[in-house]
Order: sequence, then C-alpha cells, then structure tokens
Amino acid sequence: MVKNMFSSYQPKNSFDEYFKDNVNSAREILIPLLSSLDNMGLEELNRNHSAAKKLLLRHGATFRLNDTGLKGTERILPFDPLPRIISKDDWVTLEKGLKQRLEAIDLFLDDIYNSQKIINDGIIPRELIESSEGWRPQMIGFKPPLNKWCQISGLDLIRDRNGDWHVLEDNLRCPSGVAYFLENRLVMKNIFPNLFSGRIVKPIDEYPSYLLKTLQELAVWTDTPKIVLLTPGIFNSAYFEHSYLAQEMGIQLVQGHDLVCNDDYVYLKTTSGLKRVDVIYRRIDDDFLDPLNFRKDSCLGVSGLLDVFKAGHVALANAPGTGIADDKMIYSFVPKMIKYYLNEEIIIKNVETYICHYQKDREYVLENLSKLVVKSVAEAGGYGMLIGPHSTTNEIDEFSNKIKKNPRNFIAQPTLELSTVPSLCDGELYPCHVDLRPYILRGKDSWVSPGGLTRVALKKGSLVVNSSQGGGCKDTWVVGK
Amino acid sequence: MLLSRVAESLYWINRYLERAENISRFVEVSEAMSLDCPPGSAEPWLPLIDASSDRESFDKRFPEKKPDDVINFLIRDRLNPNSIISCIQMARENARQIRDVMTTEMWEQINILYWNMQEGEAIWNKPRQEQLSEIRRECQLFYGITDATLSKDLAWRFSILGRLIERADKTSRILDVKYYLLLPSLDELGGVLDELQWIALLRSAGAYQMFRKAVQNSIKPNSVARFLLLDPIFPRSVRYCLDGISNTLRMIDTSPSTENPSELECMRGLLQAKWSYIRIEDIINHGLHEAIDSLQMDLNKLNDLIQEKYFIN
Repeated sequence: MVKNMFSSYQPKNSFDEYFKDNVNSAREILIPLLSSLDNMGLEELNRNHSAAKKLLLRHGATFRLNDTGLKGTERILPFDPLPRIISKDDWVTLEKGLKQRLEAIDLFLDDIYNSQKIINDGIIPRELIESSEGWRPQMIGFKPPLNKWCQISGLDLIRDRNGDWHVLEDNLRCPSGVAYFLENRLVMKNIFPNLFSGRIVKPIDEYPSYLLKTLQELAVWTDTPKIVLLTPGIFNSAYFEHSYLAQEMGIQLVQGHDLVCNDDYVYLKTTSGLKRVDVIYRRIDDDFLDPLNFRKDSCLGVSGLLDVFKAGHVALANAPGTGIADDKMIYSFVPKMIKYYLNEEIIIKNVETYICHYQKDREYVLENLSKLVVKSVAEAGGYGMLIGPHSTTNEIDEFSNKIKKNPRNFIAQPTLELSTVPSLCDGELYPCHVDLRPYILRGKDSWVSPGGLTRVALKKGSLVVNSSQGGGCKDTWVVGK
Repeated sequence: MLLSRVAESLYWINRYLERAENISRFVEVSEAMSLDCPPGSAEPWLPLIDASSDRESFDKRFPEKKPDDVINFLIRDRLNPNSIISCIQMARENARQIRDVMTTEMWEQINILYWNMQEGEAIWNKPRQEQLSEIRRECQLFYGITDATLSKDLAWRFSILGRLIERADKTSRILDVKYYLLLPSLDELGGVLDELQWIALLRSAGAYQMFRKAVQNSIKPNSVARFLLLDPIFPRSVRYCLDGISNTLRMIDTSPSTENPSELECMRGLLQAKWSYIRIEDIINHGLHEAIDSLQMDLNKLNDLIQEKYFIN
C-alpha cells in the first residue's frame, strides 16, 4: 500500500514512530495518514513543501541566528510536512505525568526559597542548590501570587529505543517554540488539508486563550489587569514568537525602555502619559530583568522591577528564581522531589544521569566520555555539550579538562537513540530523530498543550534537534484510534 | 492608549512607505520625460536627488553622474537611506517591532513587499516601468489594507499623520523640481506650453485625471500649481494633506484648546489656515520656490513638535 512513497525508506535502529520494522509493518495508528500520503505522492509533497516555506516567510515566522542583525541572517525555522502522531492513550499518561512533575517542581521552588525542608531533611544537599547558576538568593522569603512560580514551562520529552517516554530537560525559565507549534498546525491545515482526512486531530488553537487566562489570574488585586509581554527586541531569536503571542492575546508587546518603575509600581510610557501595568509575561532571563537587582550592565530590563514584584504590585511570569529547577543537575533530583512532596511515583521517567560533582559518577564519566553525552548544567539551546560518539579525541580531551576543572558544572547521560519519524531530506524521505516539547500552563488550574512542538534533526544522522543547531520542526497530532 | 514607541513606529512606517511610493512616481515619470532630452545626460535626473537633499553623497559616490547611476541610487542603493529599498526595509524593521499592534494582513503585506525586493527576486527581471508601478501598487495596497482592517483608534491616527506629512512634503517637492525644470522652456518657446511635459508632471503626482476633471481649460503652469498646492478635495494636494494633518492632530489630543495653545497646536492651525486662505497668484508673485521651501521647513518643524510631544517621554 505504501510502496511508492516509502519504497526507499529504511528505518534505523532506533524506534521509528511510523513503522515497526520496515515499510511493510506500519503502526496501526498511522494507517489513515499513510494512505492519504500515498494518494498525494512524493512529487506533490515536495511541491507543497515549498509552498509551506513561502507561507511561513510571508507570515514572518523567521528568526535571526545571531544577535548582529546583519542582512541575510534572517530565516524561517525549517519545517517538515510529515506530521508526527501520538496516540490519545499515550497522551493521557503524558499529560498526567507533566502535571505531576510541575506540581512537584513548584512545591520545590516554594520550599527552597522559604522553609528549605528538602535540604534540612537531607534529600538535596545545600551546596548543590546554592552553587547553581539559577539560584537567586534575592528571592528568599518570597511567595509569588497563587504561590506558583512556573506559569509557563516547556519540557523536553524523548522516546528511547523501546518507544518509552522520558523527560530529557525541564525548561522553566522562558521556554520558546510555542509559536512554531501553533504556526505549524496553521500551515498544515492550509497546505495539506487532505492529510487530515478521516480523523480528528486534537485542536491546539486555545493555547493563547489559556495563556491569557493564566496571566490574568496572577493579578489577584484586580479583575481588569493590564498585561504586557516584555521582549528583548527584534534582534532576539525568539522575537517572532513574542510578537505572535502578544498579537494572539491582544496584549501589548513592550521593551524594557517602554516601562518605568515609580513609587513601587511599574508603568507603561504611553502617548497619554504613564499607565500602570499589572502582569508582565517576561521573555527576558532573570539576569537581564532588572539592572538594579541583577546584572548591572543589562540594558534590556527595567530598573527596580524586582522590588515592585516583591512588593506585590506586579506579577512576573515566570517568577525570577525558577532557573534553579532548570539546572540540569537539579533535574536529576526531580524523581525524589515527586516522592518527597507528593508521595507518588514518577510517571514519566528521567533519563539516567551522572552527576560529575560526585566522585564516583565523575570517574565513570571521565572513563566513558566517548559513549556519553555531557552537558553543561546551565546552558540551553544545545550549546556547551559533548556528544561522545560523534566527537574527536581532541574534543573529548577538552571536555575532560573542563569537567575536572569545574565538576559541578557538568552532568552526563548515555547517548540516547532518539525515536525517528520520516522527514524530507533533500527531497527524499529519511528517518530523522525527534523530541517533543509540550507546554504546561499553571494558573489556578493546570493545562497541557495537546502534543507540543516536535523538533526534528533534519541533517542526516544528526542527534541535535535545537533550532540554533540546524534543527527543524513538524506538526504533532494527538489522535484517537 | 498607545506606547510612545509604537506611535513613533506607526508614524514612520507610513512615512517610509509614502516616501517609497513617491520616489517610484518621480522616477517613473522622469524616465518618460528624459526620452526628450539628449541621450546619456543626467541633467533631467539630478533634480530628483536635489529634492531629497542627497546630492552631496550622490556626487561623492557617482562622479560620472550617469542616468543609470541616478536611477540605481534612487531605487536599489542600500547605502542611500532615501532609496526605495532602504525605505521599505526601514518600514519593515519598524513593522517588525510593533507586530502586536498591526493587523496580520498589514504585516504580511509589508513583509512580503520586503522579501520581494531582495536581490535576485523576480521583480528585478521586469522592465523598469513595471518594477516602479509594482512598487507603487504594493505600497498602495498597504494603505488599503490598513484602512480596511485597522480599528480607527490612536494607532490609526498616527499612521495617517505620518502618511499625510510625507505626502504634503513630496507633492510640493515634485512640483518644485518640475516647475523649475519646465519654466525655462516655457520662456524659450515664447509662452507656448509643452503640454506633454505638464501632463507628465501631473501624472507623477497621480493627479492627471482629477486635474482634468477639475480644470477644463488647456493646461497652464499656474493652474497645475494651484491644483497640486491648493485644491481642497484632491487627496494628494498640499492643502488637503494639511487639513488632514490638522484634523488628525486635533483627534489625537482630545483635551480642548486653551487660551494658551501649545506650540504644536499653533503650528498645525496656522499651517492649515495659511494654505487654505492664499491665492496661487500671490504665491507665484512672491516666488513659488520660496513658498515651497518655507512649507518644507514648516513640515520639518511640525515633525519635531510631534516627536517632542508624543514620541519622547
């Protein structure tokens, strides 16, 4: 049935989400899609793929790779037209697991910035907390609105060789990508309506509404809050997303110099004078948020913003200080947090992680660098990592020195064979590795986006899905049987 | 309520697009007119550069002053901040910063215009007249989309303000440049009007048909100048634009005028009155060029006062 289009497609050793062993053993849930694809044929798929790229360009779904703003560096995030499919059964479990994880993380944040029970009970050593780059002593003793710290998070999930799901990373600061998640669906509906035929894909359009509701709920002092989205500006690689979300929610997109703090309140500078702001969805990292309280050299933030926040006169989403739980070493303690705070077993497992800070782990890591993936605990975007099996001896030596010099800064994980989904590479179908970033919103209630952003390593053989490293994305469908 | 920065961006997006559109009008018509001049001479072109006060930078970079140099300088030269391509790029940069305020359709129009103007795009393979009219139409499409999709709020008003100020400026410049070029030939020919040239001038201001409807007599310099400067209902005339500017500013500042009006209020009122209650004969007797020069200074001053009141705070 799928002979034509997939005739030369060869699944790799990893878990292929379309086929069990080879193209003759399609997974049941894929059958309607494969039949629509076959009706279309490779040629039309490629043709429509170009149309999709043009549409994304017209929409302005572009990012700039570096911060120089030079002409020609602006490009669209590579988009792959073959959707990734997740069964509703899988999804129900994942949704539960994500809510569980975020619940525990929020309790953890509240705890370490207040009573520090988890430290005093000996579950997590104090030195690991206080040595983290994400630790913000400025937040000690603080309770954010609704007692929630992470209003918006995006966790990275992967499937291993057996198809089992794991959490790879917790992104709790300013996770990006959600605009591409929404935009991809729009493009699929516009350009590939036939592929949807005969099935109901869980809609995702309500994300902006839930996000707005989540932000509104933070302003516990008013029913008509003034909400803004704070962006570093057009040179930021996620600027498209900032403007997209502001537009979708009908809130104002502002930059640091549009805001000013005065007498414990924060105001917008408008053509009719200063106007009070209640909630700021900030897409600027803690460090740059407030030059008075964090990095002095920041020209992106607003002086005194943290003081207004602590006085309870503005809400910030996410609260400063969540980066501690984003630390890739603290990540390894999340199963213990879930046990400690919720007395539950973890639903979506972590990936096995070696903590270089511990001597025993470190020795193992140093001896097995060529097999492992080493990550710097505070970096994001695929920067500062070593993929052992794909590295030269020089690169391995270099990392070995880095680890010895600052062991707290590194963790290591086995090299995972990420699951694959067929994708277009140079006009042909090829099994490309994927991960999944679902978005979790937490106001008075929790809400998880159905599916999430599937990032795909479009370079043949590459394991890195980050857009900063040449990765792309595809639409993700949660479907029933 | 509108952010000062956003108001400024809207104002400039519209000024830049109006500027790009007017340059394309300039060049479109000048190219047709130049066919009547000795081949290879840049003389009929140079006033176009004088009109945007870029003569010095042009002379430095293109000492040979070939007609093609002028055209490239005005259309595709990225180093000339007043070239069409630079204006479109600046408009799009500003639009990118305020995408939350513009409608999606406005953004897409300006964005696609920008991408279609990149090197290697199809537009550059067309005949030049086609390129220019395409640019003009794309800019006009943006105004149309703005009118049809944007709520008539402050954002809309600052857009209109930018558009009208630029338009008043450019219409007067078109007239200034061409009047200066055309008048000598008028004398030489002993008062016989080269009608084709005046028609070309009207066309470059997009005014030909409306002029014909309004003025049934043969085309005379004075009646052309009167139409472009003082016509009360032609949307590109200086007077029409000044009426619009004044009304728009009154809508933006809703607090009633006091006995002690601000400098901006005085300026908008006086400008509107000055160009509503003057006869073309008086302008010409005192010097058309001088009148246009003083208009342009007034518009610059108006721009500074708007800047001071609404964009800086």
